[in-house]
Amino acid sequence: MGEEAQALILSTSPHAKSTDSVRKIMGIVNLMLLPAVAFSIYQFGLYVLAMYAVSIATCLATEYLVVRWRKRPFSLNDGSALVTALLLVMVLPPRFPLYGVILGAVVAIVIGKQIFGGIGYNIFNPALIGRAFLAAAYPVWITSWITPRIGVDGISMTDAVSTATPLAQMKFDGVVAAAADLFLGFIGGSIGETSALLLLIGAIYLIVKKYIKWRIPLSIFLTVAVLGGIFHLINPARFPNPLFHLFAGGLMIGALYMATDMVTSPITKKGCVYFGIGIGLLVIVIRLFGGLSEGAMYAILFMNALVPLINRATKPRIFGTGAGE
Amino acid sequence: MNRRLKMLLIMTLFACISGGVLSLVYLISAPLIEANMLEEERRSILNVVPGIDSYEERIEGEMKYFECKDASGFVVGYALPAKGNGYQGVIKLMVGLTPDLSEITGISILEQVETPGLGGRISEQVFQDQFQGIKTEPAVGYVKNQAPDKDTDIQAVTGATISSRSVVTIINRNIVKFREIL
Amino acid sequence: MAAKDDRKSVGVEFVKGFWKENPILVMLLGMCPTLAVTTSVINGLTMGLAVVFVLTCSSLIVSIVRNIIPKQVRIPVFIVIIATFVTMVDLFLKAFLLDLSKALGPFIPLIVVNCIILGRAEAFASKKGVFLSVVDALGVSFGFTITLIILGGIREVLGMRTFFGHPVLGEGFEPWIVMLLPPGAFITLGLLLGVKNSIDKRLKEKRSR
Repeated sequence: MGEEAQALILSTSPHAKSTDSVRKIMGIVNLMLLPAVAFSIYQFGLYVLAMYAVSIATCLATEYLVVRWRKRPFSLNDGSALVTALLLVMVLPPRFPLYGVILGAVVAIVIGKQIFGGIGYNIFNPALIGRAFLAAAYPVWITSWITPRIGVDGISMTDAVSTATPLAQMKFDGVVAAAADLFLGFIGGSIGETSALLLLIGAIYLIVKKYIKWRIPLSIFLTVAVLGGIFHLINPARFPNPLFHLFAGGLMIGALYMATDMVTSPITKKGCVYFGIGIGLLVIVIRLFGGLSEGAMYAILFMNALVPLINRATKPRIFGTGAGE
Repeated sequence: MNRRLKMLLIMTLFACISGGVLSLVYLISAPLIEANMLEEERRSILNVVPGIDSYEERIEGEMKYFECKDASGFVVGYALPAKGNGYQGVIKLMVGLTPDLSEITGISILEQVETPGLGGRISEQVFQDQFQGIKTEPAVGYVKNQAPDKDTDIQAVTGATISSRSVVTIINRNIVKFREIL
Repeated sequence: MAAKDDRKSVGVEFVKGFWKENPILVMLLGMCPTLAVTTSVINGLTMGLAVVFVLTCSSLIVSIVRNIIPKQVRIPVFIVIIATFVTMVDLFLKAFLLDLSKALGPFIPLIVVNCIILGRAEAFASKKGVFLSVVDALGVSFGFTITLIILGGIREVLGMRTFFGHPVLGEGFEPWIVMLLPPGAFITLGLLLGVKNSIDKRLKEKRSR
């Protein structure tokens, strides 16, 4: 199966080969997540470190067992399970029980990835599948947030008390957090989603190295900003400003690290733009009019499902055949 | 022609037999079904207006309510069936009220399709019991994640604000309508 | 049909509904009640028994009258027969088991359009003798019932910590609410299908060796 997989590279022409291996790319992605991971441990305490450890151990063990059971070539050292493990914890609330983390990690690897045939074959982002399962399994825990160590306006907090995320405050109480706090990460929220700045730094390096397709995050951000701006202009009292939309909640981590997953995003340039616009549109619709306060996860999962259709619809025309549509 | 006639006859025959059998089954089961419904209604009314001896159904315009009397024929409260939208579908409930409508004597959730284990917990006795003795003026309210300190408030089910709010809204809306009638 | 043939195939026709032609795991029929009502064992069992009754009775009647029904109108006649029995079940539940009737909601009346029943009527009962048709109906519907119980069991244990209403998992286990929701139904069914297929595959490998 190894050679077979190598023979099947899905991409549009030109078919230039690069020296990058899955292992190298995943290694760099992991490295780029580290600043946000480190910040999250500082912000939410050592318990979060335990969550990362449990998630990594479970993801690797599950991957190992499934691969052994299915008698597939060993894919443990390609680092993709590690990316899933980190991203899963980064989108969970800071005091999520450890056995919930184990459950999410198993679901992410088994149902999100291995059932489809392992890396390269999964339809949905595995970490998001894990989180979606946990969100439905433990709806109370998944919405239990605490205050970060460095709180609003850089004031440090001594005790972690339960709080609401900026998005939930916006939705249910009409309070809009300051853009600077959102950007730096002095807010409540999922473990690794709070600091837009650190996520951006890592992602810019990945974009420069061309490991993630810049069209996807850019089209997501533009769609969210434009749509958010339009609604804000219509009714500033009810709808928050576009900056808030960009930096609050899971949009940053979702758009930069999850929507851009090589396996689950479109392969054509045009397709990436459509994909991004679709995610941005869904995020705004869910945030402003849905029952949930945050919609980035479901928006990405939904658009993941449409990727095969997008690929088909945006397939470049073969030169010399037909006269176009 | 002959074949067409045969088709017609056969279908008519089956329809008639089916209709006949079903009418028979219906005749037997209808009284039982009706008794079930009445019993359920009775149970929910006794549940929300305690200590009553008899009740009487009244219909005023679009509203249906039950006038509850004690042994001496004195009106001790009203039971008001109400329904409205919840998080996922229609919630049907029964509210018990004192004769001057200033206080809730109890509620009973009759039907709901909220998320099991979350919004569905509005059916739990603990949640319903909170409504006993709640004042309806100016309106029933709810608080989140803490014990209520006002005598008009109840505590929402953790993580299910929308379902809890729906129950409160349904109750308020129907009490307002009911006041206009009385 | 010779009596000898009948006797030999009776066992086969009965057993096939449980595994080889399981209506849920192989034919993937009747998905609507399968996914919607299996939030608990009791719901699955009730739905299963309702289908046992409807399928057996309608297969019986269909195979009795199969020779007098003109081919062109057979489907409407089958539907009328099925609908009669479904309505009987619905009225029965409302009269005697109100709580269950409420829990199953519209899914009892929806048995009318359950493909398993029309499928057996069309594919089996309208072609075979009375006795075999009843045996086939019993096999298929009990296969359906058992699969619903397994599905309902898994979902009830994980989603509510109980089995048949009795607590089986300790307080320490925080129930997975997702199992009671539609995604839980799809995931459980998908995993069951996978398990069944992998068992079949292993059996086949063993046999060929």
